[in-house]
Amino acid sequence: MGKNDFAVIRAILAGDKEAYGALVERHSHSLFRVAFRITGNEADAEDVVQEAFLRGYQKLESFEARSSFGTWIYRIAVRGALDKISRRPADDSSRVAGAADPEQDEVQVADTAVRPDRLLLSGEIGALLQLAMQRLTPAERTAFVLRHVEDCSTEEIAAALGIAPSAAKQAVFRAIKKLRSRLAPLRVNP
Amino acid sequence: MNHLSEEELIEQYYSRDDTGAGGHLAACAECAETYAELKSDLAAMQTAAPPARDAAYGERVWRSIAPFLPVYEARKRSWLRGGAWRGLSYASACALLVAGAFIAGRVWEHKQIQTTAIAIPAAIPQKAAPPQQRLVVVVLSDHLDRSERLLVELKHADTGSEEMVSPLRDEARSLLAANRVCRQNAKKNDDPALAAALARLDHLLVELANQKGGLNAASLARLQDEMNSDSLLFEVRVLRSRIPDQQPVANNRRNGGTI
Repeated sequence: MGKNDFAVIRAILAGDKEAYGALVERHSHSLFRVAFRITGNEADAEDVVQEAFLRGYQKLESFEARSSFGTWIYRIAVRGALDKISRRPADDSSRVAGAADPEQDEVQVADTAVRPDRLLLSGEIGALLQLAMQRLTPAERTAFVLRHVEDCSTEEIAAALGIAPSAAKQAVFRAIKKLRSRLAPLRVNP
Repeated sequence: MNHLSEEELIEQYYSRDDTGAGGHLAACAECAETYAELKSDLAAMQTAAPPARDAAYGERVWRSIAPFLPVYEARKRSWLRGGAWRGLSYASACALLVAGAFIAGRVWEHKQIQTTAIAIPAAIPQKAAPPQQRLVVVVLSDHLDRSERLLVELKHADTGSEEMVSPLRDEARSLLAANRVCRQNAKKNDDPALAAALARLDHLLVELANQKGGLNAASLARLQDEMNSDSLLFEVRVLRSRIPDQQPVANNRRNGGTI
């Protein structure tokens, strides 16, 4: 897959613009996924994906074979998503998907036994988590999503955000502390 | 026993390898309980799953951005070779920069040595003529100038005229002090010719200034003869011409000032 990407890039830089379509189709889904997790909004996530591929094409000459195209364009999308949520007004809560309809969220708790009271609690946790995440700083939120959901390493988060690994680690720590603090009222004691 | 911090527990939770906290967690019930709480909390933090995109999503994205993308011009060099050449060109540029800096440094150092070598002889005359020395030169020049005029007047003086004699005596008195300073300076500077000439001038000035019984025709005639026989006027003119910098003297004379 990686070699194919390099071959496609060679073709694009040789003048074959249409070849970029193959890269777009190949990586669109993963970019949308991470963009949605960071922005929490479908329309914003689609914008982020389009902008990421546009920027990627414009910067294609500067792309070097030190990482795969997928990793490279993923980082562009993460930064685009971070920019998107950074530009949002602080009180723009209506754009976060699921905040108004907590029951649609897929929420899991430590005890996965399916009971009506547990499902209700799960819905509450999901809604509260969305609100709590919305109150994180854009960098904390992005770092948490990359670490907790996307399973990125500290170095990968740092590279994606363009910050030092220690700063990335601290951003994750701060995010988790804040989220735990806000979710504490709903904590289930086994 | 030091318990693990929340950050260490978070690090342990996400770490793909053992951070070293595993052993502690096995031995410390308190940290193990805290860690269990953390795991429970983090496990509960499951965000909403992204909405599914259909298989044509990528194509739609491509169609939406394609009109805005320019065509890259075909490159003469291949992409991978371009990267290698770019690296080589950077290395070459760095090497050239270092070499250029080294050569420039050497040239600059060489020029500095030359400049110093040239500057030292140039500085010698300046050191030989510090401000105080230049002042002495100006004083001497002025003194010789005035002495020359006095000698010219004495040469052509009408010995019978009291009006002519009196200014000569006054001028001789005023020149005496300067002449002694100049004479001492000539001796100090080891200039025997100047010192000898000033000594003869000194003798003449003393005679002119302090002639017992005042200047009379006989004494003036004697001094004229003495001056002529010693060629004192000629010698003063020669000494006068030896002084290199005439400008300050000229200015001084023009301003009518004396030192």
